[in-house]
Amino acid sequence: MSAIECRNLRKDYTRGEEVIHTLQDVDIDIEAGSFVALMGPSGSGKTTLLNLLAGIDRPTGGTIEIGGQDIGDLSRNGLAAWRSAHVGYIFQLYNLVPVLTAYENVELPLLLHRLTAAERHERVADALSLVGLADRHEHYPRQLSGGQEQRVAIARAIVTRPTLILADEPTGDLDRASAAHVMDLLVRLNREFGQTIVMVTHDPSTAARAGRTVHLDKGKIVDEPEHAHGHAHDHGEHRK
Amino acid sequence: MNSLLRSVPITWKNLSRRTLRTTLTVAGIAVATFLFSFVESMRDGVRRATEAGAAETRLVVYRKNRFCPFTSKLPQSYERTIQDVPGVKSAVPVKIVVNNCRASLDVVTFRGVPDEGFMEDHLQGATLRSGSLADWKLRSDAVIVGSALADRRRLRAGDRFDAAGVRTLVAGVFESLDAQDQNVAYAHLGFLQETAQRGGTGGIVTQFNVEVTDPARLEEVAAAIDERLAHDQFPTTTRPESAFVARAARDVIALVRFAGIVGWASLAAVFALIANAIALAVRDRVRDHAILQTLGWTGMDIAWMVVLEAGMLGAAGGAIGALAAYGAIAFAKLNFTTEGVSIGVTSSATVTGIGILLATALGAVAGLAPAWTASRREIVQGFRTA
Repeated sequence: MSAIECRNLRKDYTRGEEVIHTLQDVDIDIEAGSFVALMGPSGSGKTTLLNLLAGIDRPTGGTIEIGGQDIGDLSRNGLAAWRSAHVGYIFQLYNLVPVLTAYENVELPLLLHRLTAAERHERVADALSLVGLADRHEHYPRQLSGGQEQRVAIARAIVTRPTLILADEPTGDLDRASAAHVMDLLVRLNREFGQTIVMVTHDPSTAARAGRTVHLDKGKIVDEPEHAHGHAHDHGEHRK
Repeated sequence: MNSLLRSVPITWKNLSRRTLRTTLTVAGIAVATFLFSFVESMRDGVRRATEAGAAETRLVVYRKNRFCPFTSKLPQSYERTIQDVPGVKSAVPVKIVVNNCRASLDVVTFRGVPDEGFMEDHLQGATLRSGSLADWKLRSDAVIVGSALADRRRLRAGDRFDAAGVRTLVAGVFESLDAQDQNVAYAHLGFLQETAQRGGTGGIVTQFNVEVTDPARLEEVAAAIDERLAHDQFPTTTRPESAFVARAARDVIALVRFAGIVGWASLAAVFALIANAIALAVRDRVRDHAILQTLGWTGMDIAWMVVLEAGMLGAAGGAIGALAAYGAIAFAKLNFTTEGVSIGVTSSATVTGIGILLATALGAVAGLAPAWTASRREIVQGFRTA
């Protein structure tokens, strides 16, 4: 069963009088519980596709159905509520709120849910434990390394137990060791908790950890292998 | 309601953890609100001293076309004439000696009043802080001093006090809510007249303080007194006390009215300060707002957060400024005195409350435009801008 179905998805940007076709009639199905890597050169439309799937950008045309919900039908506020319930987003540059501690950053999305303070505390503590930062609750982002900041961002993305995790080059700003740690975490989330993950990456070895790799170029999907609908790989064997 | 409350802790952390920015903004708002509250307290004092109440019963009889205690000279014998006017309950001759006829913050006003009756009645609505009325009665050169004057000149019962060529002994210090009393030294009428006699004005008083039986007949009784003395050697002008103060203190009132413009200008400064601080904050936090919206916060949540922050800045600065003004005024015990009448600048909970409310409301209003901008910005555009 597809968790995500995109049909004729288009996204145009206007720069002056020039119209840039960032995505052109993209069709893609992503199975529930799969781990998909989106690859392609800069400007190929990977991040745009990810943003459309996250509902933080609107398509120019086409439809996006996620879990049976056409998110194009949702109002601005409806889309915000949908994101809160279904999406965890991991940014390349972590994007933690600098005046909040690690604990408070992870707690942020839970403030939108009907939970008691004790329930919130339990969930935040669990999420930070899962990413190996149980002892960093009170640290501010400036007091953490890049790898630790990204792990806090992952904790924030999973704390609401979303159905879909979207990651935009989550290892792009990290050294090899930290990148490997972050990828181990994402693989574990996919394998142990069955969460659907869509990840943008430039790095073939990172993409190799995903179960399926989708290549984009000039706003179109190219060169997708037919067999690629699987779960994450424990190690870097590219299934292309 | 829940959506409004959930923004409060984040907004509070944004303020409390950006210490320098918050401190500077709050300090600016506090200074402006202090100025506003101070000026409003002055205006409040003028209003209370010059606006007649429905229960006003006191008239002041002054020499016609004279506006200064040095030139208003009336025979003490008018006391009987005034007493005979229908509607008059009592008439008290008062001799006023001042050390400065112009508007000043340090004018000493001596009021000569009869030995019997007046002080007993007068002190009923006041509190004797030190000394006693008995001591005042025992010595002809004794004075009972209002608290503002006593504090300013550091006078206590038993001290010698010399001003305007009048040498006296302080027999007591009293507290009164009436601004006219706070800045006055009550002396024996005979003693002041005797002192003035050296200048050839014995038996002469400055004014008569007249109580009427019915507040509704205030104007009618005033007209009757002036009518009765119109053809005498010393014609009079009689006004309700509030009107008398308004006439005598017109320079001070004009000054305070002008200061009112400064007060409102300081509120404009509050608005500009908060608008600037919030506009900069919103610009600095484009990325934070995009993050929050990605997590599921709505544009309205973001807008509310911005308005809340602006309101909290206004409330904090307003509270500090208005309460500081309240304390400063209470401590300084300021009185503007001119031509022998005083206008008190007194601390007022109402003025303080208005100062805090206005600063808070202006803060919230100043946050509206940046809030709207922040709430309408698309998430992707926010990340790109950041």
